[in-house]
This record gives sequence, structure tokens and C-alpha cells, in this order.
Amino acid sequence: MRTMLKIENLTATVGEEDAAKTIINGLSLEVPKGEVHAIMGPNGAGKSTLSYVLTGRDGYEVTGGSAKLNGEDILDMDPEERAAKGLFLSFQYPVEIPGVPVMTFVRAAMNSQRKARGEDEISAPDFIKKSREIGKALKLDTEMLKRSLNVGFSGGEKKRLEIYQMMMLEPSFLILDETDSGLDIDALKTVADGVNAMRSPDRGMLVITHYQRLLDHIQPDKVHVLSKGRIVATGGPELAHRLEKEGYEGILGEVA
Amino acid sequence: MTTALRDMIANPTTAELELVARYGMQPEDSRRERLFEAFSKTGLPHRRLEAWKWTDFRAALQGLDRPSTPPAQDPIPHAGALVFRFTPNGYFPPDHIPDGLNVFEKNEAQALGAAEDVPLGALAASLSGGKAGPATLLLEVTSKELPRLHFQFSGEGEANFARVVVVVRPDMALTVSESHLGGAGLTSSVIEFGLQKGSTVNRTIYQRGTPEETIASTVLVHLDADSHYTQTSLAFGAKVARLETRVTHQEPSAKATLNAAYLVGKDLHADFTTHVRHGANSCVTRQLTKGAVLNGGTGVFQGKFFVPRTAGQYTDADMQHKALLLEDGAVVFAKPELEIYADDVECAHGNTSGALDDDQLFYMRQRGLPEKTARALLTQAFVAEAFAEAGALEEVLRAEAEAWLAAA
Repeated sequence: MRTMLKIENLTATVGEEDAAKTIINGLSLEVPKGEVHAIMGPNGAGKSTLSYVLTGRDGYEVTGGSAKLNGEDILDMDPEERAAKGLFLSFQYPVEIPGVPVMTFVRAAMNSQRKARGEDEISAPDFIKKSREIGKALKLDTEMLKRSLNVGFSGGEKKRLEIYQMMMLEPSFLILDETDSGLDIDALKTVADGVNAMRSPDRGMLVITHYQRLLDHIQPDKVHVLSKGRIVATGGPELAHRLEKEGYEGILGEVA
Repeated sequence: MTTALRDMIANPTTAELELVARYGMQPEDSRRERLFEAFSKTGLPHRRLEAWKWTDFRAALQGLDRPSTPPAQDPIPHAGALVFRFTPNGYFPPDHIPDGLNVFEKNEAQALGAAEDVPLGALAASLSGGKAGPATLLLEVTSKELPRLHFQFSGEGEANFARVVVVVRPDMALTVSESHLGGAGLTSSVIEFGLQKGSTVNRTIYQRGTPEETIASTVLVHLDADSHYTQTSLAFGAKVARLETRVTHQEPSAKATLNAAYLVGKDLHADFTTHVRHGANSCVTRQLTKGAVLNGGTGVFQGKFFVPRTAGQYTDADMQHKALLLEDGAVVFAKPELEIYADDVECAHGNTSGALDDDQLFYMRQRGLPEKTARALLTQAFVAEAFAEAGALEEVLRAEAEAWLAAA
């Protein structure tokens, strides 16, 4: 088993000094290469905070512990450095970027990552070819990809654009934050198909979700239950089904 | 004579005395005299005048000095355009004037009126001419097919003044561009556009100066029925720079589109001031001004829509100003004003200023864009919205903005 993401005893706070609140509180977790792990938990457990701490968003302060990707400590890196190392976050609420077309943005992102890794830029024809193939699989036509990123797109289209970016950038480790929120069943299937197509022996995934529904489409290798900033239970896919049946209170009451 | 001239401006500064001396050397002309008297009422405009409280030419212009730096390069293509160059030492018209354009070089001051309402416009109108060229360059457009006209205000010297009047005959069309590139301690030009019934003008303005230059562009636009005037400006500022546009909808169903962007760095100042009078029924004005300012830079937006009680019915007007403060120490002053007396109108305005959005920046960096690149891309997109109506010159303006952001 080759560990890809290794989080040890992580603690992190949100907010300004005096009002800082501990949201992640001694969290440990390992995701090996090739595995998909789900993190489930009630509202306020720290699910989104974990995704932001791992990707380096301002406003979150790590106060203890470590997080390593392929053996490298990522917590001191800028967000763009982490991205170049292969870390990708699919946002719960993708941000609108007016005036920046999808393809322009993704090409700039791709070339920035390549530059940071010392690789050559992708040529325009290669980029367009790749974009067309992936767009087709996700039912995103070229006209849509010329529009401003996420501006005027429906909730489902925004999530498909996240998957599009993921498939274009080919990151080695994916964090999906509530990717199922706001999706109808057809959109959910398209998105899940995209994510499943990304599964590979060289790639790890952390799927953060509130509901078991997404895990019917993206089968996890392991399920972790997050509560009050720590992992309180770990099991196989059956744990997600138990959660769905018994609720968080049932499971949390048992472990407490 | 000298004493009388000296008395024209109360407590004159060195620069104002030099302007009075320049006026004294102009040939006698009653229109010129009236214009200089109008300027003399205020002298160089300064912070104690309400309309100039953020743009103090008197303080900025100690004397009429030659800057140590050459004028900025002109990014607007000259190829294929009819180029008129105005410099401190001469006026250079194009070699060939095609049919459809009539050029009159007038040695006396001419006006469609209203130049004297703006101090620096009155100054430019009263001091243009002499050895530097015609007092008034009068252009008459009788075609829809003319090449783009390009006015370049540039060249080394103490001061550069020019006056142009453009009359566009009914149903005719004109594309015009201007570059205000500095090179003199004071550059002040005044241009009047008269758009006759059903005519169109698309005008693009590029302004760039240094902390040793002051630059003023005063434009007066008179719109007849069903005419359409479109203006796109990009300003980088100067020690003080003011681009002032005064539009009068004087007959029904005219349309004005006024878009502008300012990108202002350290020790520079850029002022967009506009005044639109909806003096006839059913006229339309669309105004969008975007700004981005760095530490030590100052951006100014003053916009006014005036809609009189009976004449301005069914006015449809929208004024938007949005500014980005890219760094601590950036300054933006804004004064949007709607003065409306008519009761059946649609007038809206919006005014915002702030920093780049943290959510957008994080999203872009998460995808691998370095912070600087993400900031530049966001700012570029923000500003470029103002260039959408610039036609063939849109790409030139975008490229100039992009280069500035890359260097910022």
C-alpha cells in the first residue's frame, strides 16, 4: 500500500486571532494510491474546512499536525503550488469569473501548472482537441466552453464544468466537496460517470458528502465519519448505508 | 497692455503668467478674447472649485516646463488612418485628403459654442494656433466610407494647445481615434463634435502621461435627432489628467454610449468627468466606467445626467462606475449625479469600489494560476468590459491594458 495523502493529528482554526475557532481537531487520515475514500459527517463537522485547509485557502490557520501528499508536506505551500503537485478541489459552489472564458482559464491553469513542474506548455491544437473530447463526454459543447467561467450556468452545468476542469488538468489527487449538492439524478449520473472515469491506480480521491446518495454512483473503498473536526469511525461502504439508515446520531452515539 | 493682461487673473501663479504672456502674443480676435476671459475667471482650475476638487491643475502646474521624458509611444495604428498630429511646434495634416472630408484651417477661433464653459477648454481654444497651426481645424464629414481619422496630441515642449471642430453631415458616419501622449508640461485640447440628423461617430481615446506632465482633453458633443455617438476611452493618467466629455442631446431619439477605463499607477492621476444633458425627448445614454488603481495612484470619476422637466421626457439613461483598488494606498474618488426634473424617465446609476474578490482569487489559484497571474486575469476581464464598443481598436486597448497589468 502506497500512501498518497497522509494527514496526522491535524488541527486548524478559522477566524481572526481572538475569535479563532478550532474546526479541525486532531484529524488523522491516510488515502493510498488508487483508492477512493469518502468523508461523511453532519453539518458543522468540518468537512468543507478540511478541503480548504488541504488546498491552502486564506483565513484557515493550521495550529498543529501535518498533511503530506506523496511524502511532501503541503501545508506551507501556496494554493497554486499544491495544484501543480496534483491536488484538485472540486468546489461545492464553483465561483463565477466574469470575462474569463472557460477554455482561456483552463489553458492558463494548465500551462501554469506545467511551467511550475518544468514541463512544456500544451500546444493550441492539442489543447483544443483534448477539450473537444472531454466536452463531448460531459455534454458541454464548444460554445459553452467559450463563455465566461460559471457565469449564467445552471447548478448542474457548473458541476460538469468542475469535472471538465478535472479531466483536463488530470490531477493526481482529487477532493470532491459536496459534488452532489444541487444536482438532479441525470446530472448526478453524468458527474459520477466523469469522476469514475478518473479512477486509476495512480490517483487518490477524497469524496466529501453529506448524503449516501453520491456513494451509490461513486463506490468508495473506505468511508470515514467526521465529527467535531476528527475522524470518529472508519469502515467499508456498508458504513455509509448504516449512516443513511441510523443517522449520524446513531453512529455518533455509539462511538461517543 | 501688459498690465491689463496681468490683471486678468487674480493672484496668478508662474504658470498662469506664462499663459497670459502666450495669449498676449496671439493675434487680436474678439472670439479668442472672449474665450481667454472665460478661462481667466478661474485661471488654472483648482481644488476650491467644486468641479475640480480632486483634480488640481493649478497646484500640479508650477510653471510651463518641458518634461525630461519624451512623449509616450502611440499604440493606435497610423496605417490606413488619416493622421492629424498636433505638437507644440507645429501641426501636421495627412498628405492626402480624400473625397468626403473637407478640411478648413481657420486662423480665428470658431465654435459651436460652450467651449468657454470648461476652463481648460476655453484655454485651449484661446491659445491654439499661431506658429503651431490653425486656431481651429474645422472638419466636415460628407461620407460614410472615410478611413478612420486619428488625432495625435504629442510632442516635446512647454505647452501644446489644439482645437478641432468636426461636423458630421446628416446620415454620415465617422470613426475617429485620439492619442493624448504628453511630451509637454501642459497639453490641452478641445474638440467639438456636431452630429447631424441620423449620423454616427465611433470615437476611441488613448491617454498616457508621466508624473511630469499635465494633460486635459475637453470634448463637447452636440447630438441631433437619431444620431449615435459612441466613445471608448483608456487612460493611464499623468501628474494630473482630465478627460472631460460634455454631451448635449439637443434633438429627440439621439443615443450616446460613453465607456471608459482608467488604469493608474504610482504618482499618477486620471480623471473622467462627463456631463450629459438630455435636452430632448426619448434620448438614450449608456455609460460604463471601469477603473483599477495601484498604490500611490488616484482615479476620479464624476458623472452627471441632467434631465430638464419638459424637454427630457422618456429619457433612458444608465451610469455605472466600478473601481478596483488593487493595493493599499490606491485612491478613487467618485461622484455620480442624477439631476432629473422630468417625470417619465428611466435613469439608473451604480457606483462601487473595492478589492478583488477573495473567492475568485482562491478558485483560480486552486487551479494552478499563480496569484499575480490570477489578479492580472481578473483585473483584465474587469476592465475589458469597457472596450466592447471600440470596434477594430478593441484589441489594441485590451493589449495595452494587459501589458500594464503584467508590469504592475
